[in-house]
Amino acid sequence: MPRTIASECPGCPSIRALTTDEIGRIKVIEARGKISIPKMVEAWGDPDYNRHIYLASFANRERDPVLAVARKNKEVELINPLTGDVIAVKNIGEDPLGALHLFTSRRSNSRSNTLLMCTEKGKASLQSIQVCDGISANTVFLKQWDVCNAGKVECSSVNGSENYALFAGKGIEVNFWDIEKNEKIWTAKSPKSSNLGIFTPTWFTSATFLCKDDHRKFVAGTNNQQVRLYDISSQRRPVITIEFRDKIRSIAEDTDGYKIYAGTSKGELAAFDMRTGKLLGSFIGKCSGSIRSIARHPEQPVLVSCGLDRYLRFWNTNTRELLSSVFLKQNLTNVVIDPHFSGEEIAVNTVEKTMLTGQLIDGNEVEIGGESSIKTKKTKSKFKTIKHTKEELEPEHKRRKKRVAEE
Amino acid sequence: MVGDGGRRGDDEEKRKRKKKKTEEKDDDIDDDTGTGVHGEKKKSIILPSMIKNKDKRMAVHAKRKHEKKLEKRKRAKERELSVKKAVELGEEIPVKQVPKTIENTREVDDNIYKIDDEEFMEEKCHDEFSKVVENGHVPKILITTNRFNSTRGPAFISELLTIVPNAQYKKRGTYELKKIIEGAKKRDFTSIIVVHCRRREPDALLIIGLPFGPTAHFKLSSLVLRKDIKNHGNPSGHKPELILNNFTTTLGHRVGRLLQSIFPQDPEFRGRRVVTFHNQRDFIFFRHHRYKFDFKEENDPNDTKAKATKETSTQKPKVAVHLQECGPRFTLKLRSLQHGTFDTKGGEYEWVHKSEMDTSRRRFFL
Repeated sequence: MPRTIASECPGCPSIRALTTDEIGRIKVIEARGKISIPKMVEAWGDPDYNRHIYLASFANRERDPVLAVARKNKEVELINPLTGDVIAVKNIGEDPLGALHLFTSRRSNSRSNTLLMCTEKGKASLQSIQVCDGISANTVFLKQWDVCNAGKVECSSVNGSENYALFAGKGIEVNFWDIEKNEKIWTAKSPKSSNLGIFTPTWFTSATFLCKDDHRKFVAGTNNQQVRLYDISSQRRPVITIEFRDKIRSIAEDTDGYKIYAGTSKGELAAFDMRTGKLLGSFIGKCSGSIRSIARHPEQPVLVSCGLDRYLRFWNTNTRELLSSVFLKQNLTNVVIDPHFSGEEIAVNTVEKTMLTGQLIDGNEVEIGGESSIKTKKTKSKFKTIKHTKEELEPEHKRRKKRVAEE
Repeated sequence: MVGDGGRRGDDEEKRKRKKKKTEEKDDDIDDDTGTGVHGEKKKSIILPSMIKNKDKRMAVHAKRKHEKKLEKRKRAKERELSVKKAVELGEEIPVKQVPKTIENTREVDDNIYKIDDEEFMEEKCHDEFSKVVENGHVPKILITTNRFNSTRGPAFISELLTIVPNAQYKKRGTYELKKIIEGAKKRDFTSIIVVHCRRREPDALLIIGLPFGPTAHFKLSSLVLRKDIKNHGNPSGHKPELILNNFTTTLGHRVGRLLQSIFPQDPEFRGRRVVTFHNQRDFIFFRHHRYKFDFKEENDPNDTKAKATKETSTQKPKVAVHLQECGPRFTLKLRSLQHGTFDTKGGEYEWVHKSEMDTSRRRFFL
């Protein structure tokens, strides 16, 4: 008898994730309905190695969300994550970025987007991009400051209310900044050398705030296999230090305010409880390449991870089993989840549409969904014979618009 | 460090096993009742192993074997006849059956490399190997060892030097590998091969692409050196042809390209040398051959009539191919593929083999 274990993938609840990769493409993966297998729906951009996307940030808003990506050819692009249209392109200088954050709040009007950027050399800036017609954009430098003088910024995080930011990297201890006042509040202190007198140089690879509401606690992953919890209110050295197997490559927080997910450079993904500093369990079985990015769905118990093994994987956070995986052909660099995805099943949608088309039969020509719309001209066709091909292909942005309008 | 998940899984397995056992018991009971009815029939079959006398046992066994052989031949002949008949009648030829192997029943994976995919085409033009493979840059190889190296190690390296054109051997000394890589980058080497020996026997191979990586770590096993191969040939100094077999997945393709980038891309066909990397069930077999085409005129004694008819038409010379192995022979198995050059601490891995991946003997990665 062959020793086989059937690879079962139960499928995941409705979800919409966007990935960026080394070939400069943004891919949209969707799963619809209660439980289904996610599929790649769209891929935006031409494959081009020079346009390698290395950073991405997602402004998570119900109405007009924006995705910001940093590319290797020294450009930062703002992209509409529903249609894939480029809203604005901004040229950055010679230095590649070490951190990028697109603010969800902080908008003077609906056409401005505020970006926090930090180059690898530590030149941080707060910029507001005004989108004019077409792709031309006006940039206003709001603030500019130096995070550090030496070293290389590798990670940053901005807290839930977007007042504070932290930066860390290779040779840079964690810096805590107040964005409003533009001043450094706090710096971490490196841990003492070991009992053998060996001092490991600082090298932070990833960081995140532990809780959305609390800006005082945050977690950082280091190159020497440690996950550290810092608390600004108590001390400058880490409160809890956890040793894990390999170099920590990415970290994401759970919604409950104490759980942390960490991915390593050898493709190990694990959950930690930061109250006790204990390993809750690993997500085992399938990951084989370095995990570059993790994202947690804000409502459903789904975790998404991607990395150098070219797969996007969906995990159940409670049972830690693999729900599904999608092969995306390239080394993936970032993944973001669009939490406002409705995820209605196509069947439901078609019913809606048939109702609409039913109305259409009387009035010959009607526009649906505002400016960009499907014009239908039907005189002969009867209610029953309408084919649903168009409804199936109806893109997310139109559905979203409709939903918002209804509300 | 085992989480709850693992424990729960174990419990489930145990339960399953218990279920199976109970089922089997049920089956046994059924069988018992069955023997009650067909008991006599079952007893009448005597297996050769049940005979106690050795001579008799051997005789019976030989007889059975012979019968089986005859039967098999009969079946083969029948098949042949049916094919012949079909050809004569112009019917469809019965489908030739393919034996099921572990390899052709492998678990289906979706990460298969497709040549015509635009993303893969873009990758092909811009990845780390494109300089050598696509753009005709002449590869320059540095071969070195681990710190202690003796007996079969140096012998293997001297043979590697004859296989890989434009390769140089440098003693390792006490240099760190990272420093060697830096030095090799400055001297325009395109790859480094590190032969790792343990107990005076080569057991691992590290192939590092320069300047941007990747680093592949192979387990090296079943090494047979040239002098241990019977009737081996001695290769000439020509650039060899390269055969890469059966690298189907994206990971496999990448490993294949890494191996390809060691060799020059313009083989000298005059040399009639072939180097083969054949992947089978994730093991990469290395073979090195010389070949020869012999153009013979047909002179089969059976086909005299056919020959007479053929002489009038244009005669095609019969081609006989001769292969001669000129070692060494070894097998590689991928342990890890690292993104970038050798860096165990700060490096990122594209693929690492872990024991938990071995869920099935039909799951392959290359």
